[in-house]
Amino acid sequence: MEVKPKSGCETCAHFNAAGLKKLGVNTTSFDHIIALAGNPNTGKSTVFNALTGLRQHTGNWPGKTVTRAEGAFEYNNEKYKLVDLPGTYSLLSTSEDEEVARNFILFGKPTVTVIVVDASRLERNLNLVLQILEITDRAVLCLNLMDEAKRNKIEIDSRSLARDLGIPVVPTSARFNQGIPELIQTISEVASGAIVCKPHRIKNIPKNIEKAVEQLSEEIRKEYPDIPNSRWIAFRLLEGDQHIIELLKSGEFEEFMA
Amino acid sequence: MNTYNPFNALLIFLGICLLGYLFFRPKHGWFWLIKNNSTTTQKVVAEDILKRLYHNENASNYLNINDVVRILKQDEKMVVESIDKMVTLGWVKMEGDIVRLTKSGSDYALRIIRAHRLWERYLADKTGFNKSEWHQRAERKEHELTIDDTDLLAKTLGNPQFDPHGDPIPTISGKMAKLKGVPVSELNTRTIGRIIHIKDKPDIIYKQIMAENIHIGSIIRIVEKSPERIVFHSEGEAFKLAPIVAGNITVSVLEKDVSYEEDILRLNSLKKDEIGKIIGISKEIRGESRRRLLDLGFVKGADVSIDLLNPLGEPKAYLIKGTSIALRNNQASKILIKK
Amino acid sequence: MKQKNIDNIIALSNDLRWQIGDEFHDNLAEGIYADAAEIVKGSVHKPNGNKRLRLDAKIDKVLTSKTWGFPLMFLILAVVLWLTIVGANYPSSMLGNLLLDTIHPALKGFASGIGLPWWLDGFLIDGVYLAVAWVIAVMLPPMAIFFPLFTLLEDFGYLPRVAFNLDHLFKLSGAHGKQALTMSMGFGCNAAGVVATRIIDSPRERLIAIITNNFSLCNGRWPTQILIATIFIGAVAPASMAGIASLGAVIGIAVLGICFMFLVSWALSKTVLKGEVSTFNLELPPYRPPRFWKTIYTSIIDRTLIVLWRAIVFAAPAGALIWLISNIYVGDLSLAAWLIQSLDGFGFLLGLNGVILVAYIVAIPANEIVIPTILMLTVLVTGISGGEGAGVMFELESASATGDILRAGGWTLLTAVNLMLFSLLHNPCSTTIYTIYKETKSTKWTVIASILPVILGFIVTFLVAQIWRLF
Repeated sequence: MEVKPKSGCETCAHFNAAGLKKLGVNTTSFDHIIALAGNPNTGKSTVFNALTGLRQHTGNWPGKTVTRAEGAFEYNNEKYKLVDLPGTYSLLSTSEDEEVARNFILFGKPTVTVIVVDASRLERNLNLVLQILEITDRAVLCLNLMDEAKRNKIEIDSRSLARDLGIPVVPTSARFNQGIPELIQTISEVASGAIVCKPHRIKNIPKNIEKAVEQLSEEIRKEYPDIPNSRWIAFRLLEGDQHIIELLKSGEFEEFMA
Repeated sequence: MNTYNPFNALLIFLGICLLGYLFFRPKHGWFWLIKNNSTTTQKVVAEDILKRLYHNENASNYLNINDVVRILKQDEKMVVESIDKMVTLGWVKMEGDIVRLTKSGSDYALRIIRAHRLWERYLADKTGFNKSEWHQRAERKEHELTIDDTDLLAKTLGNPQFDPHGDPIPTISGKMAKLKGVPVSELNTRTIGRIIHIKDKPDIIYKQIMAENIHIGSIIRIVEKSPERIVFHSEGEAFKLAPIVAGNITVSVLEKDVSYEEDILRLNSLKKDEIGKIIGISKEIRGESRRRLLDLGFVKGADVSIDLLNPLGEPKAYLIKGTSIALRNNQASKILIKK
Repeated sequence: MKQKNIDNIIALSNDLRWQIGDEFHDNLAEGIYADAAEIVKGSVHKPNGNKRLRLDAKIDKVLTSKTWGFPLMFLILAVVLWLTIVGANYPSSMLGNLLLDTIHPALKGFASGIGLPWWLDGFLIDGVYLAVAWVIAVMLPPMAIFFPLFTLLEDFGYLPRVAFNLDHLFKLSGAHGKQALTMSMGFGCNAAGVVATRIIDSPRERLIAIITNNFSLCNGRWPTQILIATIFIGAVAPASMAGIASLGAVIGIAVLGICFMFLVSWALSKTVLKGEVSTFNLELPPYRPPRFWKTIYTSIIDRTLIVLWRAIVFAAPAGALIWLISNIYVGDLSLAAWLIQSLDGFGFLLGLNGVILVAYIVAIPANEIVIPTILMLTVLVTGISGGEGAGVMFELESASATGDILRAGGWTLLTAVNLMLFSLLHNPCSTTIYTIYKETKSTKWTVIASILPVILGFIVTFLVAQIWRLF
């Protein structure tokens, strides 16, 4: 399990432009599901449009995409279905959008989750990123709005960021289509397993909670040895997430996680 | 059409409006009176009696039948009948004139209190009802919830220990966390304490405390005490209360070595070009609103400053973790900062 | 065995939750942010700290300033509305010429050419086609102007500042500042306004915004207001002031709508909605230059065409219905005439008449066809010359000729004033009702949102009529 974080430039050379086909809304058959998550106002829908060739409306306004939008593209003969999740600040609350996003990442079995963040507001965006990394270990960080960050004179070392997060980081400016080829290449490498992620797990938790989470997730692992995110399930149980409790009780949990 | 006359038409209309008002005006409308009357059954009276007895006996206060009638403001005949029946059911026993709770009566009373406080907690966490309404609504709901309902409610709320006023919620087995508090009116000057409970009865005093914007969890320091008034500082503001009002606020006295930090302020008092560090969010912000604030980055230790003032004074936009977030004053007043 | 383990896990989680106490969520959120801060410290270099961009701060200073904030806001809103109403005139009349005056006769000619029976020809061409054509001609141009303009402001980032400036006013009536935007959106189209309430993430305030959106005069109703004001209000003012008087009347109605919006918001938040959860947060995003053509394209596709399509779907059957009630006879009277007679008494009480009420009933699907329907029905029941025949909606080129027909139908100044009021205060069109249902997924709120304005309309027009007649 070696971490191979990549920054955008390393992958430029590998991008195979001839292998890319934007398929728009044609999502009938596909090899991989890609979930697109991110805070509101990070240009997530612009990234979605750049990847699929669709022109979904993107408002400069939080909470625009409420329903899930879907699109597709083909790269190197593999078809990717792209699901644009509602923009949320977090996955810990009970609002409708967060439930949609949380359930899709947890139960929708996306091959790769692309997390779009605003490069100028990385710290606040990491709140969502770190939560998603508790759920899935196949993720790509799309460091979007790099043009704005440059204007703000913000410098980001995407290599050390990738090392800290344990997932590949691709700087993009989706409005100008910059970095999109690298993003597609990286998605395909994570999907195929060429890049193996070793995602960051939340560390700064008070001792008593850490202990409770450990105890609970151990029990969960005993029951479901195959699930990768027992810690997240433990978080949710401690939070009293009725949806998960119902699934556990009815036995459907296993089906969803399999 | 011949009988039509605009004046008559208006008169009829006004008549209908008046009737509608009499029926549906808040609290005293006939519709509500009829509705409430039909629900004041013997069960409700009995449960109310149990509750009153429980609270009074806890304060070593023993009531006779006249006291009960007076406190409940109910028809005397109904109360006497209820007490008779409760005696046969073994919930209370008569010791001379005094009505005393039996063990099973006291268990029953605890169940009602549990239902009441859980429902208040539910109203606080999961609905938008104003806090001045919680008590009245719970007063009605406590009689409707079955034991199973109450347990389910407790579960969905995550088995809370305290209701939103700071009162402990009894567990199923009747265990209750003990409140070790002192009323503010009995504290000496320079004492430091944390507010742990605000009594929601009587209504007038509770409303006054709410109007002062005093809430559970705040740390206070008494600066003046006289028979006329009690003055304490909290979160950068001074509060002056009459002793009778202060008596309804309970604090747990903090150890001497816990230093009271004079420079803890409420976020709404931050001025332009000042930078504050967030100390925490008051317990008064609950449920969804609290989560949302945390998600937006209003967490302990974060730097915050004013980004934009509003032409109408409110809301102000605060710069937190690189983003401008507008908050209304009633929210900002519940976020504590240090300059 | 398995079930038992799962029960154990849940029981354990309940125990642990009790042990770690209420602070769990707070601690978790703090923990995550602490991790984030550590990571950022290692890989991000910000020479300017967390300060916002200079230009952004400057723009904000002007747009939210005490002196400039409000004038600028009203100016921008006025320009958008002016561009919409005035700018739509030309393409609207062009579309009208094409669809109503050219294609309609051509279709009629074609139908008689192939020998279509009169009833099928009437039903399809005079009923369905005409209603659809009318909706397109009236609705498409203003929406195609209004939505792109609004979307440009949105993409630039100005709209959240409007919500910020106005929030205090809305808070007083228990609503959310973002309602200012859904309300403005409602000036374009109430259905679009209702969809736009998604930006309000607090359940109570969102319902308030949905239920009160209908008090924004939508572009299907602006033309009615302008026409009636020109004919009746303009006529009572001295000739030199006629234009200003009628304009004032229309603006007065729109402002009255805003007053009703505040009043009803306040009443809702204090009564039926007081138990809904209420939260507030408003992010002021950085300004971003909108990409002009792309925005225009997406807003036309996303908003205009979708709303237009829904309106057409609802208007088609309405057109059919209008034609049918005018051409089906019960005894000596057509269904329409019969309905008009039975509603005349009630209409009189409201200072309106049976024709208007019938027109509003059959035109629930689209406010755009109210005036054509009123004209057609007036001609039908009065038997005066003019019009195109039973069940064929029409409008006249000149306002004065329209006024002549209406006066022949017994209209007075009171009728006109009350029609304007009723046009503001009546049930939302069926597109909007359907949208409300889709957004709330609740029959209760849909019914309340549909019935409440029409009841208010009855009360207001009734009171105005009685008081008018007293003097």
